[in-house]
Amino acid sequence: MPRLRDLPLVDASVRADASVHEAVSALFASRSPAIAVLDAEGHPVGVFAERDLLQAVFPGYLAEMRHTSFLPDDSAALDELARQVRSRSIGELARTSEVLRGDDSQVHAAERLMHTGEDALPVVDGERFLGMLSVAALCQARLDRAQEE
Amino acid sequence: MELLALAIFLVALALIALDWGHRTSVAFAGAALMVVLGVLDQEHAIESVDWATIGLLAGMMVIVALVEPTGIFTYLALRVTQVSRGRPVALMLLLAGVTGVLSAFLDNLTAILLVVPITLAIADMLRITPIPLVLVQVLASNIGGTATLIGDPPNILIGTHREELSFTDFIVNLAPVSLFTLVVVSVLLALVFRRGMQIDPERARAVEQLDPAADLRQAKHVKRTLAVLGGTIVAFFLHAPLHVEPAVVALSGATVMLFAAADEVENALERVEWATLFFFIGLFVMVGGLVEQGVIDDVATWLSDITGDSSTKESLVILWGSAAGSALVDNIPFTTAMLPVVDAIQGSEFDEGLWWALALGACFGGNATLIAAAANVAATGVLKRAGHPVSFGRFLAIGLPVTLLSLMISTAYLLLFQL
Repeated sequence: MPRLRDLPLVDASVRADASVHEAVSALFASRSPAIAVLDAEGHPVGVFAERDLLQAVFPGYLAEMRHTSFLPDDSAALDELARQVRSRSIGELARTSEVLRGDDSQVHAAERLMHTGEDALPVVDGERFLGMLSVAALCQARLDRAQEE
Repeated sequence: MELLALAIFLVALALIALDWGHRTSVAFAGAALMVVLGVLDQEHAIESVDWATIGLLAGMMVIVALVEPTGIFTYLALRVTQVSRGRPVALMLLLAGVTGVLSAFLDNLTAILLVVPITLAIADMLRITPIPLVLVQVLASNIGGTATLIGDPPNILIGTHREELSFTDFIVNLAPVSLFTLVVVSVLLALVFRRGMQIDPERARAVEQLDPAADLRQAKHVKRTLAVLGGTIVAFFLHAPLHVEPAVVALSGATVMLFAAADEVENALERVEWATLFFFIGLFVMVGGLVEQGVIDDVATWLSDITGDSSTKESLVILWGSAAGSALVDNIPFTTAMLPVVDAIQGSEFDEGLWWALALGACFGGNATLIAAAANVAATGVLKRAGHPVSFGRFLAIGLPVTLLSLMISTAYLLLFQL
């Protein structure tokens, strides 16, 4: 049974001093739901996921509300918030997350993805970043293997 | 052993006040230490927990969890904003009023968590800073919560501890002074803050065009959910003549609500603040240890000595002392410890005035500092996450004068009507 390092990991990462705009471009290009944020030595120091992007680009108080039907799209306020976010470095918005190891089993990865609620987690060998493992990539690997057998 | 009990309790209070470790973990650690070190045995530890308080809190948490999805709180906050028509003083007074009234019938922490995010959205739309609005709401919630038995944790503790005090007694004795204080404080703060709150008339008109009932119309079972809430509040007024404890009213209301509301039972129970309930249990056990070792009797004797057994002096010392204690530590542990102290001071003759002094001191003291009440911590936490941090000093600059003013009003009230 292949370990995590044998799966199709995505090299989705960005340096901590990159701008939010660069990080979003990397996020889109990688087609991974989250990217790893790396320090100058290339060690992962955090992750930045689509959900984090959502909370950065839209007002933070939305996460505390359950009723927003009355709220219109206030383009001037949203534009101003977007301008502020663009100028920040991704290191400010990244958050720490769990990491998986290259020799971890697929079942362990599935359990951690279920319980952390993340859509993708960084996979490392020691401190070296191997790539991001997404839910889709993990499940596709399982389905493809069943097909081959 | 008496010194050990006191030391464990004071260390726990200090850790809670300094936010070193989760308050529930600290309270449980203190309770466990008291039992393990023999300050009180496990039978007394279990007996010292006031299950009526836990039941009342749990019942109200379930009720609020099931009412919140109806969108009624959003409707109220948005509606009063529209009624203010862009006048800053009116906006502040109306938001303070809604928060104060909600805090009287929900607990004030819940009221704050419901209204503050809506206030942030409203301030965003009006292009004004939300900080003055939220600070006024926090202070209003602590004052409004003083008005009823279920409005603020200190009152819940007092109301469930002394069966002689009914829901109506709280309303009759505390609502008028709370309402007066709320009006005075809100007007003064609105006048202080109005300069920085100029609202563009065009933005105000845009807010007036919003539909406050949009969520109410989309939610399921709104009428019957609100009917159960209304029925529960009516039942609180009638609990004394019906000889039913407030905890039974809250838990019965919660039970009916579980059938009436649209949410799943699991979802409702997930929103019960279990950490808060366990915090209360830990506190009750620690205070049980203080009672067991005679610490409470000693404090009561000392208080009687310095007041010369004068009922007036006792009430005023309790009022101002409770406010000071609640400002320095959390008002929940402070009130929990004061319950047996007031029991001992009054002796065999029930003295209502002492309990109103404790309620006013502990609730109003909750406004003095950022850490004095859970609602303050929660509101400033929401503000910080939204990019509007409020420092301890900035809160103190508003909260302390408000508390002193509230206590002066309370002193006059107690002297004129209760003593």
